[in-house]
Amino acid sequence: MTEFLAYASMALPEMLRGTLITLKLTVGALCIGILIGLPLSLVRVYGGKLLQPFCMAYLTLFRGTPLLVQLFVVYYGLPELGISFSRMTAAFLTLGCNSAAYQCEYFRGAIQAVSKGQMQAARGIGMGRLQAVRHIILPQALRLVIPAWSNEFIAMVKYTAVVFLIAVPDLMSRAKMLSSQNFAPIQTYILVAMIYLVIVGGLSLVLHFAQKRLTVPGFDFGQDAR
Amino acid sequence: MIKPLLRIKNLHKSFGKIEVIKGVSFNVNPSEVIVIIGSSGTGKSTVLQCLNLLHRPDSGQIFLQDQEITSPGVDEDKVRQQMGMVFQEFNLFNHLSVLNNVAVGMIKVLKVPTVEARQRARDELKKVGMADHQDKYPAQLSGGQKQRVGIARALAMGPKVMLFDEPTSALDPELTGEVLAVMQELASEGMTMVIVSHEMGFARQVADRVIFMENGLIEEEGTPDQIFCDPFSQRTRAFLSLINQGENPGGEIQ
Repeated sequence: MTEFLAYASMALPEMLRGTLITLKLTVGALCIGILIGLPLSLVRVYGGKLLQPFCMAYLTLFRGTPLLVQLFVVYYGLPELGISFSRMTAAFLTLGCNSAAYQCEYFRGAIQAVSKGQMQAARGIGMGRLQAVRHIILPQALRLVIPAWSNEFIAMVKYTAVVFLIAVPDLMSRAKMLSSQNFAPIQTYILVAMIYLVIVGGLSLVLHFAQKRLTVPGFDFGQDAR
Repeated sequence: MIKPLLRIKNLHKSFGKIEVIKGVSFNVNPSEVIVIIGSSGTGKSTVLQCLNLLHRPDSGQIFLQDQEITSPGVDEDKVRQQMGMVFQEFNLFNHLSVLNNVAVGMIKVLKVPTVEARQRARDELKKVGMADHQDKYPAQLSGGQKQRVGIARALAMGPKVMLFDEPTSALDPELTGEVLAVMQELASEGMTMVIVSHEMGFARQVADRVIFMENGLIEEEGTPDQIFCDPFSQRTRAFLSLINQGENPGGEIQ
């Protein structure tokens, strides 16, 4: 045990630097995911027939292929076409675009769960379509989406670990190095697992409080049986 | 000669292959209360939703005062601001408090400053007897209370005419009374109202004119006395006798 603690105190500073990058990647990818996913979901629900095939193509592409393949295509493949990114940019872009596809579907489900009457009533008091979406539909849909979206948040923390394969110095990369330098795979990866657990646990708490704060009667996130 | 507030001319509307409205024309005069009755599926609600363009009619014209609102290029949102709509299913905004349900239209659509909008919203809520509930959310209200807020929400936009789409059909009999009382109050204040309803007792008391619709057409229209006591049409007679059989003491049609 003391041996483990000694190793931990030696390895932790390096690991925490990696953790910072993991967190950056998570937050960045989720933000890109919202920026692309939310408009995409609006197109899916309200967009005309013309735009649907593009949406579907995007969703199929990113949900139908492994994240790792996407990462390699972006980082190793695109430079052959003259488009090259730094490791970090490639990681942000790939994780973000991938997350957008999933987030789009979460948002779409939530938007469609808001009853049609809400749109009618909003139009009835003279709101335009965009105004109605912004002031009436989205505030409700975004509350409804929180449970599903929390999943995406938590999954993303862990998905970021794939970036060690293009040598982004995240938590996983640094752990791999520490492990081989010190011949200490068990200690290292137990520490890594513990760090991921702490992050996910912390995030779950934050999301839980966010959810509580946003609760209004009638939006009890399943605590009330409807 | 009073100038009509609304003129509806030869309205047609189909959903897919089914023609729901087959040429409906009528006028609505200022301060007039019109109740449209008829069996389910005869196009009453569709007519109402065409009036404020929630459904676009296939052909025919609607004039709001001098403006033809069915002509292309008319700003539908502007038109709807002038017509208050009250829905059968209330459709209150679930994420907003009662006060904000009433104020949101003024704030976002009419761009009234928030403080003033809230004050006006409180006044409207007082009118429908809901001032004490302003901080509650729709999920915490009874059906009758929801509908009264729905009426306040529509009134807050300062409409020229109020449209009621079966406002009490989703309510328990003991709750319809409070909603009808609010509507009656409105009528007596001179609000122009077009009401689709199954409340025959209410129609008789409050309506200036009753329109009986059958099969996508106006079968008969007249004063309540004439429609209820001495209808011309065989069909009106048949409908009313069916209704009378089903009428319970609360006035709700089962």
